Amino acid sequence: MAWGPIILTAKLALVTTIILLVISVPLAYWLAYSKSRIKPVVETLVSMPLVLPPTVLGFYLLIAFSPGNALGSWLQDWLGIRLIFSFSGLVLGSVIYSLPFMVNPIQSGLASLPTSLTEASYILGKSKIKTLFSVLLPNIKPSLLTGIVLAFAHTVGEFGVVLMIGGNIPEKTKVVSIAIYDEVEALNYDNANTYSLILFITTFLVLLSVYLINGGHLKRFWK
Amino acid sequence: MIEAYVHKKLHTANGEMLLDIQLRIEKGQFVTLYGSSGAGKTSTLRILAGLLSADKGKIVLNGNTWLDTDNKIDITPQKRRIGYVFQDYALFPNMTVRKNLEYALEKGQDKNIIKELVDIVELEDLQDRNPETLSGGQKQRVALARALVRTPEVLLLDEPLSALDQKMRSKLQDYILKLHKQYNLTTILVSHDVGEIVKMSDKIYCLEDGIISREGNPITIFTNDRLSGKFQFAGEVIAIVQEEVIYIVTVLVGNNVVKVIAQESEIENLAIGDKVIVASKAFNPVLVKVEE
Amino acid sequence: MNVFSGHISDIQVNKSLSMVSVRISERVELKTILVETPETASYLSVGNIVNVLFKETEVIISKEEYPLISVQNKIKATIEEVKKGLLLSKLTLKTEIGAVASLIATEVLDEMALTENQEVIVMVKINEIMISR
Repeated sequence: MAWGPIILTAKLALVTTIILLVISVPLAYWLAYSKSRIKPVVETLVSMPLVLPPTVLGFYLLIAFSPGNALGSWLQDWLGIRLIFSFSGLVLGSVIYSLPFMVNPIQSGLASLPTSLTEASYILGKSKIKTLFSVLLPNIKPSLLTGIVLAFAHTVGEFGVVLMIGGNIPEKTKVVSIAIYDEVEALNYDNANTYSLILFITTFLVLLSVYLINGGHLKRFWK
Repeated sequence: MIEAYVHKKLHTANGEMLLDIQLRIEKGQFVTLYGSSGAGKTSTLRILAGLLSADKGKIVLNGNTWLDTDNKIDITPQKRRIGYVFQDYALFPNMTVRKNLEYALEKGQDKNIIKELVDIVELEDLQDRNPETLSGGQKQRVALARALVRTPEVLLLDEPLSALDQKMRSKLQDYILKLHKQYNLTTILVSHDVGEIVKMSDKIYCLEDGIISREGNPITIFTNDRLSGKFQFAGEVIAIVQEEVIYIVTVLVGNNVVKVIAQESEIENLAIGDKVIVASKAFNPVLVKVEE
Repeated sequence: MNVFSGHISDIQVNKSLSMVSVRISERVELKTILVETPETASYLSVGNIVNVLFKETEVIISKEEYPLISVQNKIKATIEEVKKGLLLSKLTLKTEIGAVASLIATEVLDEMALTENQEVIVMVKINEIMISR
C-alpha cells in the first residue's frame, strides 16, 4: 500500500473545503436574504450536484476544459492552466460537486437567525460586512461546522467526477477512492481493504464529532 | 423635533391596508403609538428607523432630512443615529452583556458611556453573563442600555414590555422614564397598555387601520374626555373580594395599591388583570402634607 | 354605582366651576358641581345627553318628606328590597327615574326601622355626582 493516494485525498479535501468556505459564505448570504427573481435558478444550480450522477458533471467538465475546445485551449494558452488530468482540475470539479454541502447549511443557518439581529446591528451603525462577521457568522457556528465537515467528507468520498476529469495519475490525481478501485481490479483485496478501512474510520470519526458538537455535548469546547 | 409623513401599502393578515400617518413630535417629548395589533404601529416605527421603506413620505429630524421620496433621499438606518429596542430584545447571543454594549460604540467613542448606562439600569453584576442566561426583564435592560450607547436623540421602543409581568413592567417603565429624562431623549413607544401609556407619555397617537384616529394628551384621550371626575388614575385590578353586601376591588395604580368599594353589578364584567380607571370627584380627596 | 341618563338642562359657570343640572325625568332633575367648564369639557352643553353617576355609599335616606337639610338633590322613593349585612346594608329603592341603590350602616337601618314598602326620600349631595358622556 502506498501513502500517496491518502495524502493526495487529504490535500484535495482541504483545498476544496477552504475554497468552498470562501465562496459559500457570500453565496449563502445572497441566497438567504435576496429577493431577486433569479434566486430560484441559482438555488437550483447550486443543488444540482445533489441529484446529478457525478459522471455527468465530470463528463461536461471534461468536454469544456479539454484542450481541443475553445475554453480549454484559451485557459491553456493564455493562463497556462490545464484543468484536465491535473490537480487543479480535481479541485474545480470537487468545488462544484461539493458546493451544496457547504452552501445549504450556511444558508439555512443564516435564514434561521431572527432578522432583528441584523436590524439591531444596522441601527447601531454597523455595516453589512461588519454585521456578517461579528453578528451573523458567530451565531451560526454549528451550521458552518456542518458545512465544513460535510464538504470535506464528501470530497474525500467522491469518485465519478475525479475519475472523469482527473483520470488515474499516481501522485497527481489518484485519490483513495480511485486507488481502491484500482486495487480491486488488480485483485489486491488486502490493499483495497486497508484504504477502505482508513476512509471508513476517518469518515465515521469526523461525522461523529459533528453530531457531538452540534448536539451540544461538546458545546463548551466550541465557543 | 420630528416631522414625519409616511404612506405605504401594507400586506397584513386581513388583506391590504393603507398606512397614512402624519406625526409632529417636539424634542424631549414622550410619545406613544397606540392601537390594536395590525393597526400599523410597528410599521410606522420601522419606517422611522429606516428598516422598512415607505411608498411615499418625508421624515425630517431637527432639519435633517432622513427620508424624502420626492427627492429620492433615504438615509440608511446606520446613519439615522437612533436607539431602537426590539420586541424580542435582539441581543447578540455570541457576546456577553458587556460585549453587546461595547459593540454599539462608535469608532473612537469614549467608553465611559457604557459605565454610565450600566449604572443607571443596574447591570453591574450581569456584565459577564451571556444573554441566554438572563431573565426577560434583564434582557430588556441590556437592550435599553445598548440602544443608548451611541447617545441617540431619538429612542424608538417597539412594545418593549409586552412579554414581562406587571411588577417587572412597572420597574422597567421607571428605568425608561429615567433614561428619557437624563438624556433628554425624544421617545416613541409602541404600546397598547393604557396604564403604561398614561404613566409614561406626554402625547398619544391612536392608530386605527393605518390612520391616526385621535391624538392628544393620554389622560384626555382615555378619560377626561368622557368622565368629569378630576381625580383619575389608570390601574389594573389585582383582587376582587366579596364582603357583606359589597365587593372590595383592589387596584394597582403605578406602585400603589388602592381599594375601591363596588357593587355586584359593577364587578360582573370585571376580572383580575383588567385595566380600569379609578375616578373620584375633585371635591372628595383630602390632602395631608408629608412632613420631611 | 347608580347610573342614570338625562339631558343637560342648565349650566351656571363661575371661573373654573360649573353647576350643571341634568333632567332625568319629568319631575326629577339632578344638580352637580364640577371643576370643568364648557371650554374644558366638550360634553358640557345644554341639551346634551349625558349619564349621571353616583356611588351607593353617597345616597342618603330620610323618612321625612321635607327634611331641613343641606342636600340639594331629593327624589321620592319606595323601599323595594333590604339586604342586611352585619355592618352594612343595601337598600334598593323604587323611584320615578328607576331603581336607586343605597348603602347604609345596619345600625342606622335598625334605628330608623326601615322596612320594605316604606315611602322615603332619597338624597345625594351635589359634589357626589359625576357626569360621563
